[in-house]
Amino acid sequence: MIPLLIARNTFREATRDRVLASVVVAGLALLALTQAASSLAMGEGRRFTVDLGLSGISGLGLLVILLTGTSLVAKEVERRTIYNLLSRPITRPAYLVGKWIGFSATLWSVALLLGLALWGLVVLRGWGGHGLAVLEAVYLAGLELSVITALAVMFSALSTPVLSALYTLGFYVVGQWSNDLRMLAEKLPKEIGSLVTVIANLVPNLPLFNMRTLAAEGNPTTWLHLGLASGYAAVYVACVLCLATAAFESKDFK
Amino acid sequence: MERSRDATGLILMAQGVDSVGGNPDVKGNMQTSVASIAERQTIGRPAVGQTVPDPGLAVCIRGLSKHYVHPWTLRVTRGLDALDLDVRRGEVMGLLGPNGAGKSTTLKLLTGLLKPTHGQAWLMGEPVESTASRRSLGFLPEQPYFYDYLNGIEYLELAAQLSGLQAATARERARHWLGRVGLGERPRLGLRKYSKGMLQRLGLAAALVHDPELLILDEPMSGLDPFGRRDVRDLITEQRERGVTVLFSSHILPDVEMLCDRVAIMIGGRLTRVATVGELVEDGAQAVEIRCAPGALLVIPKHWAGRVSRTQRADESVFRLEDEARLGDVLGWLLQAGVQVRAVTPQRPTLETLFMAAAEAEHERRQA
Repeated sequence: MIPLLIARNTFREATRDRVLASVVVAGLALLALTQAASSLAMGEGRRFTVDLGLSGISGLGLLVILLTGTSLVAKEVERRTIYNLLSRPITRPAYLVGKWIGFSATLWSVALLLGLALWGLVVLRGWGGHGLAVLEAVYLAGLELSVITALAVMFSALSTPVLSALYTLGFYVVGQWSNDLRMLAEKLPKEIGSLVTVIANLVPNLPLFNMRTLAAEGNPTTWLHLGLASGYAAVYVACVLCLATAAFESKDFK
Repeated sequence: MERSRDATGLILMAQGVDSVGGNPDVKGNMQTSVASIAERQTIGRPAVGQTVPDPGLAVCIRGLSKHYVHPWTLRVTRGLDALDLDVRRGEVMGLLGPNGAGKSTTLKLLTGLLKPTHGQAWLMGEPVESTASRRSLGFLPEQPYFYDYLNGIEYLELAAQLSGLQAATARERARHWLGRVGLGERPRLGLRKYSKGMLQRLGLAAALVHDPELLILDEPMSGLDPFGRRDVRDLITEQRERGVTVLFSSHILPDVEMLCDRVAIMIGGRLTRVATVGELVEDGAQAVEIRCAPGALLVIPKHWAGRVSRTQRADESVFRLEDEARLGDVLGWLLQAGVQVRAVTPQRPTLETLFMAAAEAEHERRQA
């Protein structure tokens, strides 16, 4: 109940922020741009539209996280609005979980809105065979954004908005390269290789959520992939939020 | 009513202030002072090791300390030092002290916003570490900030639901309290358009929206105009009449004198005195003013130097005695000299006088 109340408030905050509206408009404009530019894509207009549309969802979602999500908790601490919440009978973990649910719901809404627009475009252009793959890719992009949101909530609870944005961006970038890092680790001396492997395992395995290439070719993924990605996201988010609450529990609000 | 009478003037607490000093004499005073505080408290304290406080206490604080360690220099700053304090159910207690006295720290420790370094505290019998202690708590932080993307009614609904009310009840209570604090005419007005006074009223409404049994208010009159202060005083009085316990900090001494059953004075992170306003009056030496018709210039005897002073005005001479114990002697001396005495007026120091004296004494102690 309490996390849902916090989540509703966070959702309300995010959706009343101009940043979100601007991002949605930018996303729709990007889709329109793909149509203008697809004629120049040398017969690859379908691939170009789907790939850019899906990249737009991930990229704009990341932008919203960096602009708003990374100050979710820090801003409340700085502006002291958190005093009005934590002096009520709510636990700090419930507060953080509520923040994550609310902001994730916001990003899912954006992903869904832009995803449906992309799907509609694909169907309208007569590329209906790509529809399922596009929806699956949008689902995975939503999972990816939820995972990054958990990191943003954790850093935001423990740091300033600027540092929190830097840490989140760092985890995102390294997370995109996590598979390459694992491969690199095998070629490095044992000690350094082990360290690189640990880093690769600590950052989120973001390639797991990336099926843009598959979707651009109209190939749906397997249920096993979707299940694995969902399970991984759930476990990763749970671990990050546990860490965040452990640190947040002892935080003083001076 | 008794409080209003007390508000006209009272006395001294220099002994209590000195009591926190570091030298042996001062420490002796401290023991006396703490003992006298303990004697004044009629409700029993939990013994050492006892984990359940007296059910008659709304707030029970034992040895509560908050120290801050600088992350780089490791220098320790004491925000609050070994505070023992009880607030009885239904009582209005004022926390007084200059900036940095530890008032807000105490209130934040009680509301779970700070974690104590040492000691324990209970609200309505529940330890402050537990969320249950905040079920029947209404808290107004100092200079409250709110979500500017919400409007008044949305904010109060959220506050009520977070304090455990069902959605329908929360909506009803939110409307009631928004009107009660004078903001009901424009319930959909965004909080970003609220003035400072309106935000303070909204904060009070949010603290009261779930009908708490205990109210903790940090500087509730801060930033309000005289009308706003009167409204807040009325609200606190109304809550006291409903049996709600109120613990509040303030810099505005007349408000404290008017509202409080008891006053706790904090200076430098320590509690220096807990007493009713009346007790403070009775405890101290009382000054007296003797107003006389203008006459021959009398020379005040040397052995009264520093204890009796004279101010010459156009139409009268005023003799001020720092201690009423000498009244008989001085009056006898004046009458014998043929001076026409017009009035003898006891001069009861205000809480402000006491407070300033306490702060000065603490400052001197620190300098020493």
